[in-house]
Amino acid sequence: MFPADKSDNGKFDEILKQSLQSYSEPVPSGFNERMLSRIKQAEQQRVLARIILQERLSLAGSIVLGAAVLVLMTIFPGAVISFLKGVAVSLTEQGSAFMNEVPQVIGVVRNGWQFFAIFAGILGFVIYSFLDLLIGDRLRAR
Amino acid sequence: MSIKIWQKGQNDEWLGLLRSGNHKAFGQFIDKYKETVFLCCRRLGLREDEIEDVASETFLAAYNGLGRYSGRAGLGTWLWSIAYRQAVNYLRKNRRQWQLEAEPEKLIAGSREKGPAEAIQDKETGKIIWEAVEQLPRLWAMAIILFYREEKSIADIAKIMQMSKNTVKTNLFRGRERLKQILAAALGEDNVSSR
Repeated sequence: MFPADKSDNGKFDEILKQSLQSYSEPVPSGFNERMLSRIKQAEQQRVLARIILQERLSLAGSIVLGAAVLVLMTIFPGAVISFLKGVAVSLTEQGSAFMNEVPQVIGVVRNGWQFFAIFAGILGFVIYSFLDLLIGDRLRAR
Repeated sequence: MSIKIWQKGQNDEWLGLLRSGNHKAFGQFIDKYKETVFLCCRRLGLREDEIEDVASETFLAAYNGLGRYSGRAGLGTWLWSIAYRQAVNYLRKNRRQWQLEAEPEKLIAGSREKGPAEAIQDKETGKIIWEAVEQLPRLWAMAIILFYREEKSIADIAKIMQMSKNTVKTNLFRGRERLKQILAAALGEDNVSSR
């Protein structure tokens, strides 16, 4: 059945090869279906995890930005207001009649930092919405 | 030549589908390679209740890693290396690394359900040889299976088993010699050449 001669090692290799190749490994039935459903499940979980992460990041971003604006307004109110005033002045200098009213508005809110807190909140929300609008879908689809 | 180009084109298309996460293509991929993965897990000494889990992990890792598959190694070789790593890691995690070096218990090897040996030589020979391979230390058996059954090169086996080419050659040589001894004992000295 097997080669008895040392020089016939090649035949032994050939029989070994053919015998091993003719073997078929038993696989539990329904493995394909179970595997594919597991992959679909894993995909769904991954997409869900990405959405949650993206939402959390957006929320954290808007909170941090809002908080940063608030802190700036509290610690350096003069600098912030003069900066805003400077912006407004430079705009008014360009000759817009509408912009002439901006310094007056700044004057009104100068003594009420609460306004800026609300402003920061709205600004954060706007940035979050804007980013979500631009890249949210692309992030979710990844 | 044109058939080769056509086959390559088909393969590239299939690979593209696999990479894009096409479930139908991945179903075909599972169908094509599931025997290979189960063979690897069984031969490395995983228990029957563990094999399907590790095989699933292997296919999941392959699914997630297909985007990074460079195509330098054949798809089969790439999957073999994932399956081997998954199985060895599982054994390590469960502190059963020693199983790789150990010789499988003859009782288990003998009692395991066999697949249909559609014998090229003859049914008996295939069965006897397969039982002999199952009695080899697992790393030797893996090297023998990869070389003779899967027709992998020494370099590919070294990649799959994460060892040097020389170690692979040693495992192959020792496995082959032990096989001859086992077969000699099973069939009678005059039938098998044993050096």
